[in-house]
Amino acid sequence: MTFRSWRAKSLPAVIGLGAIVLAACGGSSTSSTGAAVTRTTATFAEGPGAQPNYIFPLASLAYFSVSNLSQFQFLMYRPLYWFGTNGQVQLNSSLSLADPPVYSSDGKSVAITLKGWKWSNGDQITARDVQFWQNMVTANKDNWAGFSPGEYPDNVTSTTIDPSNPLKITFNLTQAYGSYFFTYNELSQITPLPQKVWDKESATGAVGDYDKTPAGAQAVYKFLDSQSKAISTYDTNPLWQVVSGPWKLKSMDTAGNIKMVPNPGYGGPIKPTLTEFDEVPFTKDTAEFDQLKSATSVNNATIDWGYIPDADVLQKATLSNIYNFSVWAGWQITYFPENFTNPKSGPIFKQLYFRQAMQDLVDQNTFISKAFFGYGYPTYGPVPTKPSSTFVDSFERTNPYPYSPSKAVSLLQANGWTVNAGGTSTCTSPGTGSGQCGAGIPQGAKASFSLQYVSGTPALDQEMAQFKTDYALAGIAIDLSTAPFDTVIGNATPCKAGSACTWDMEFWGGGWIYAPDYEPTGDELWSCTGSGASVQYAGSDSGGYCDPVAQADILATETSSDVQAMYTYEDYLAKQLPVIWMPVNYAQLNMINKNLKGTQPLDPLLQIYPENWRWS
Amino acid sequence: MSTLDQPQTIVFPVPSGGTQEKPAEVQDIVPAFEAQGVWRLALNVFVQNRLAVVGVGIVVFMVLFCFVGPIFYHTNQTDTNLVNEFLAPSAKHWLGTDQLGFDIVGRLMIGGQTSLEIGIAAALIATVFGVLWGAVSGFFGGWVDNVLMRFVDVMLAIPALFLLLFLAVAFPRNVFTLILVVSVTAWLIPARLVRAEALTLRTREYVQAVTMMGGGGFRIVLRHIIPNSVGTIMVNATFQVADAILLVAAINFLGLGIAPPATNWGAMLSDGTTYIANGWWWLIYPAGIAIVLTVVAFNFIGDALRDALEVRLQKR
Repeated sequence: MTFRSWRAKSLPAVIGLGAIVLAACGGSSTSSTGAAVTRTTATFAEGPGAQPNYIFPLASLAYFSVSNLSQFQFLMYRPLYWFGTNGQVQLNSSLSLADPPVYSSDGKSVAITLKGWKWSNGDQITARDVQFWQNMVTANKDNWAGFSPGEYPDNVTSTTIDPSNPLKITFNLTQAYGSYFFTYNELSQITPLPQKVWDKESATGAVGDYDKTPAGAQAVYKFLDSQSKAISTYDTNPLWQVVSGPWKLKSMDTAGNIKMVPNPGYGGPIKPTLTEFDEVPFTKDTAEFDQLKSATSVNNATIDWGYIPDADVLQKATLSNIYNFSVWAGWQITYFPENFTNPKSGPIFKQLYFRQAMQDLVDQNTFISKAFFGYGYPTYGPVPTKPSSTFVDSFERTNPYPYSPSKAVSLLQANGWTVNAGGTSTCTSPGTGSGQCGAGIPQGAKASFSLQYVSGTPALDQEMAQFKTDYALAGIAIDLSTAPFDTVIGNATPCKAGSACTWDMEFWGGGWIYAPDYEPTGDELWSCTGSGASVQYAGSDSGGYCDPVAQADILATETSSDVQAMYTYEDYLAKQLPVIWMPVNYAQLNMINKNLKGTQPLDPLLQIYPENWRWS
Repeated sequence: MSTLDQPQTIVFPVPSGGTQEKPAEVQDIVPAFEAQGVWRLALNVFVQNRLAVVGVGIVVFMVLFCFVGPIFYHTNQTDTNLVNEFLAPSAKHWLGTDQLGFDIVGRLMIGGQTSLEIGIAAALIATVFGVLWGAVSGFFGGWVDNVLMRFVDVMLAIPALFLLLFLAVAFPRNVFTLILVVSVTAWLIPARLVRAEALTLRTREYVQAVTMMGGGGFRIVLRHIIPNSVGTIMVNATFQVADAILLVAAINFLGLGIAPPATNWGAMLSDGTTYIANGWWWLIYPAGIAIVLTVVAFNFIGDALRDALEVRLQKR
């Protein structure tokens, strides 16, 4: 499962090794600005309207967000394997709870040995805690946002704990998988849970092995879920005081004001030097910016890691005496789906030439330079181009469909359309032959579509207005409307037989961030099985795109450890245009206190590492 | 001049054809009534109010600017051009360009069309509906009055902005919808005002005379109650226009206005404040000034109309 991304305005970053070395230096010092630094706490600004509100790591879709996982849970509950190394999307062995996985020669099982770090109550983190997660997620997969039918956890048939080594567990798989895929996309989703504390069905009940039966695991989930929804009790509930990460919750309220203190029992290589780490909520980014501006010195700043709204980014220099500005690129792509399953417009979208014409009309460079004030980068395919990685090849770094209205017009005219620039083009040569509109497109069909996009983002308003104008150059009429994020996401699902379904295009302002399945295989976005009425789309295939060639390429990325399989897949989809590729604006435009060190490089998975922060 | 301590009465004609007792304090204006007629006198009082004349001038200017201006000042207000975004004022763009690359002067023209259309239409609908509602309620009294006015009370108890936001979300956002949305909240005030007038007027002799002659209730409402409330109605109508323009601006400020490329002054102001920290004053001041000028102008006119149509104030 990955997070569906929009503008993740609130997610902080990672710490460099240089900071790790210096983290041991505590106490007062003199800052680079000459002021004596006496602070021992730091404050992080939560994204506008994105307060953490769920502490139990087994989160359902409603709570499966960057603000809940990367900004909050991961600080207390470390995943089995940590991804994010020096600003790259790579397995970080030093921060992981276990040694690197060892795959059997046939690829059908994988052995994991934990490092023996301890929970905050002194108990060792063992294979049983991993098994507890596995049992819980298997029995409650319908309540877990990471569930993907046929894949994790369905592809784990059983787990075996080594009787001679309580730190070793073996996962037995349904088939052979590529080690890269299984580590980056399946094992990456596991978070060991404190079985000796959480495996119970009520607050007053005794701890047992309830998770070993599906009914018991469901009862335990029901209890833990209810406790996790009681935000006001987090700081007093003993369940949440047992943690594996570097931080423990000191207090939290329903508004999102969070205070954390170091977990002295944390087994990781970097221990916190701050005495307290705070998170503060904001309902609007302008309110957060006002608070940034209220600071008069690095020492009296009430926000140490904040952000500047897109529209105000040109004012970043006014805060340069207190804050360092930096851009935060997430491991993400941006796009919006066309509805291939719409009975009226679907046949048009299924024509590759039409999709090519649509992509030819997207002026990504202008969007970036004008709407984003230069703070963005283009998307040309399914694999993120930032940060640089081995996953992306040279083909996807170049634009297969550069902005060209004339080429779009030519494509339409060459395929049976009479182009009416500024108006609405129509199909005047129906049929499936060469030079004809294509299957399912009747005579007189109009190139007129609705596009609903998320409201409340000025840059997106600019982008969409320009988009409408550019599309009109080829006679593709776009009817724009706006709606809240949840509405747009809710609409963007494939049509089902017998139910009304009229949407053509939906844009939630972002796309997809590959986390916590970090290898961008696209299996959850564009894979499908079956055909006709029995077709099954991937869980996040919003537009109902289904292509057997793409499906075969996706499967190859899962079973092969050769990166060439990834290149084949991404090149094919970059050309096939399962969606309209749009430019990415940075996940956040950071403003970080100049005296707060250890914040760089930024983590593309939008995770934060306050245990590495220090004042200087 | 007589004083209120020494009441005297005279009898003089009223527009409906009946008669009415008049306090002696206004005896000295009766000749003017007789010589020039009510409306002529009202006009004289109106034009003596310099602010009112300025107000009329502003409104006329705004109407000409918005509806005639585009004939002479040609701009493309349909096609977005981000390449031209945020240009400062220049010979080519007198007031610069906005975030979509539209010329601000041209934007003010088409935005003003929408604002004025919504303001005037909403005021008209609210006034007509509110007047009928209030006149019927006040004239018939009894259970009719109770039912109609309790409904008004209930509507007034709902915060107008909340109701506006709800309606703006529930219905498609276009000029027609905005007119109706604003009208839904605006008719309550004229309804209460006219109801109060009707409570007074229904006891007058000429109304009783019509009743005695067999005149129906609705005839009395339409022919006597409403015409004799015209001063209150016209004054309130001008304020309604100003209020409607402000309400539409508020709706747009909250992000629920009409979709681009259509716009209005409120939307322009709202969009401009997004970039307020960047010092691009031309995104804010022109639309803001247009709103303020127009609203103040209608208020000036309303004040003057009140003076002109209110008998006791005619001889100020």
